[in-house]
Amino acid sequence: MDGTMQDLALPVSMGTTIMAASFDGGVVMGADSRTSTGAYIANRVTDKITPLTDSIYICRSGSAADTQNLSRYVQLFLEQHSMELGDEAEVKTAAKLAQMMAYQNKNMLQAGLIVAGWDRHEGGSVYAIPLGGTLVRTPFTIGGSGSAYIYGLCDKLWRPDMSEADCQAFVVKAVSHAMARDGSSGGCIRTVTISKDGVKRNFIPGDSVPVAAGELPAPVRAVQA
Amino acid sequence: MAGASQQGGFAFDLCKRNEFFEAKGVKHPGFTKTGTTIAGIIFKDGVVLGADTRSTAGTTVADKNCEKIHYIAPNIYCCGAGTAADTENVTGMVASQLELHRYATGAQSRVVTAMTLLKGHLFKYQGHVSAALVLGGVDFRGPHLFTVYPHGSTDSLPYCTMGSGSLNAMAVFESGYKDDLTREEAMDLVARAIRSGIMNDLGSGSNVDLCIITKDGVEYLRNHEYLQAKTYERQFPQKFASGSVPVVRERIYDIKKVVTVVEGEPMDMEA
Amino acid sequence: MSGIGSGYDLSASTFSPDGRIFQTDYAQKAVDNSGTVVGIKCKDGVVLGAEKLIISKMLEENSNRRTFPVDRHAGVAVAGVAADGRSIVSRAMAEANNYKNFYGDPIPGHVLAERLGSFVHLFNLYSSVRPYGVCTLLATYGKEGPQLYLVEPSGTTHRYFGTAVGKGRQGAKNEIEKLKLEELSCQEGIKAVAKILHQVHDEEKGFEMELAWICDESKRQFQRVPQPLVDAAEAAAKAALEAEDMDD
Repeated sequence: MDGTMQDLALPVSMGTTIMAASFDGGVVMGADSRTSTGAYIANRVTDKITPLTDSIYICRSGSAADTQNLSRYVQLFLEQHSMELGDEAEVKTAAKLAQMMAYQNKNMLQAGLIVAGWDRHEGGSVYAIPLGGTLVRTPFTIGGSGSAYIYGLCDKLWRPDMSEADCQAFVVKAVSHAMARDGSSGGCIRTVTISKDGVKRNFIPGDSVPVAAGELPAPVRAVQA
Repeated sequence: MAGASQQGGFAFDLCKRNEFFEAKGVKHPGFTKTGTTIAGIIFKDGVVLGADTRSTAGTTVADKNCEKIHYIAPNIYCCGAGTAADTENVTGMVASQLELHRYATGAQSRVVTAMTLLKGHLFKYQGHVSAALVLGGVDFRGPHLFTVYPHGSTDSLPYCTMGSGSLNAMAVFESGYKDDLTREEAMDLVARAIRSGIMNDLGSGSNVDLCIITKDGVEYLRNHEYLQAKTYERQFPQKFASGSVPVVRERIYDIKKVVTVVEGEPMDMEA
Repeated sequence: MSGIGSGYDLSASTFSPDGRIFQTDYAQKAVDNSGTVVGIKCKDGVVLGAEKLIISKMLEENSNRRTFPVDRHAGVAVAGVAADGRSIVSRAMAEANNYKNFYGDPIPGHVLAERLGSFVHLFNLYSSVRPYGVCTLLATYGKEGPQLYLVEPSGTTHRYFGTAVGKGRQGAKNEIEKLKLEELSCQEGIKAVAKILHQVHDEEKGFEMELAWICDESKRQFQRVPQPLVDAAEAAAKAALEAEDMDD
């Protein structure tokens, strides 16, 4: 077997860039779309921003299998919880459940998560759940292999008083920078914006991702007759 | 090994022995894996699944015309790559669970249900069940196509490939895929993708199987492209054409001369 | 097995022919004979009050508790068999703790009430156990504002503006109905509860009053009402009652 053949036997993992940032009234979550098995891109249009409830989403990084299945469990727990509560679950609760799953199974999982969303009590909120299974509430957070390249950028660009449009622009800029420098991140950019008005999804195709770090712009697409 | 039976529980002596042998360079026997090319595509009215038909044991071809497109439900089929035993059994298990589910609900099976059952099972076994699958079908929500990896991750895609020949097949898809292909175009593209695996990947070979699923039904085209006929057809059990055995002697008896029929009372059937 | 209807009251796992579960009824009776316990929901919180009959002159004050905190934002007053009450309190504390550890948020009043109801109900199902001889008044103050629940020995759970259990429940409920609860503050509420407890108390024996509240003044935490306030409320209650007597 050659190199690529062995790659296909490797577990599927998401060398990833994910992030979430809060603005006045909600949150914006962003992610690249690359999933790889070794050096082979298994999926170039992956959706790494998965719904947990109608207004709470989770950004997944690490093993695709681990994070997909963990998310399924959290979805199940939240559904049962909201039935007992007779109300929508809070972001805090979703984050706590994800954290518990991540922490209690830390030896069997490879999962870096960001839980964010909107609820009536706290408004928009962002929670980071890094590899060990800690739970941190932050105004914004970045994760995945690509995040290493954009700490400085995000620290400089993030402001607490951003509008929804500013926040969206910030997320797209940060993710496109990470995709430009991180080999394991790439493809398209997906964003999810959550506020009291509901959920908006945005998709930026690979050839429309903003030029970030001096690479050549994508060639203009031939117009079809 | 001595004394292991006196303690109860598991004995790991043989693991140590095997490690020792392995360190000395002994190769242990492996499982039958299907070096494979499988692929699927969504077209205008449904999905087309495709597979090669080579099964290998190491570098030896174990079966030149095996079936890799497995039945899941009347509206769902699944291509399997990886360890043959695992793909056969995991698809069989899900097929039977879905059949029971249909009896209980009286409703058509959904493709996501099959996908969720598969990923749940594979995740539970942490990758030790080596089944890499392309799952396709049509339900009331329309056509669906998924890849399922041995560790339990899934992707939902308009076109996908799996197995050792997946790179060859994906190259064909990436150059030829368009949205809303016709049935014939889709069949042709999938057959071409599988053929590129058969021709260029060592693990894949022989013929092309196709399975076309639409809301109106399934067309399972076994050996759609019969590229490599068997070099030797097995002669047993021998079949004799009618008339190939000569009639040596013929005798005709008149049965009325031997048997006499006697009228009698009907049997009393009352209890 | 002689006499009318006998045999059906030996176990909570048997219905009587007319559809009653006698053991459950008897448990309710154990509560009905207990000292009165009153709960009212005011505009800014909940007040719980218990009339504790003095069983011995040698009894030290405050040695027989009827109100208990369950969490920062929830507490109960129990009427009936005191020992059963403590068992319910420990279950309530466990439920509150478990919920917070699991969901990262304090347990909402209705969830705690439902879970306590389910717990108590279990003891109405098996021949090997007896029902709790306790009515639990549950006071909470969470996201939904102040709430008052009553969990009965059968497991039945209801939310109330105000309610009373124990010996003087009927008189107490009549008095509660006269209060304008949506205008009443908890400061006034403790005086009202003190007055009601004195009113319904059977004069012959003495009693000790125990008051607890959860309100804005207690920073939305369940606590026993500070002794100076209890003394003041009791004095005000006695004065009001004497004034009413003069009018008659």
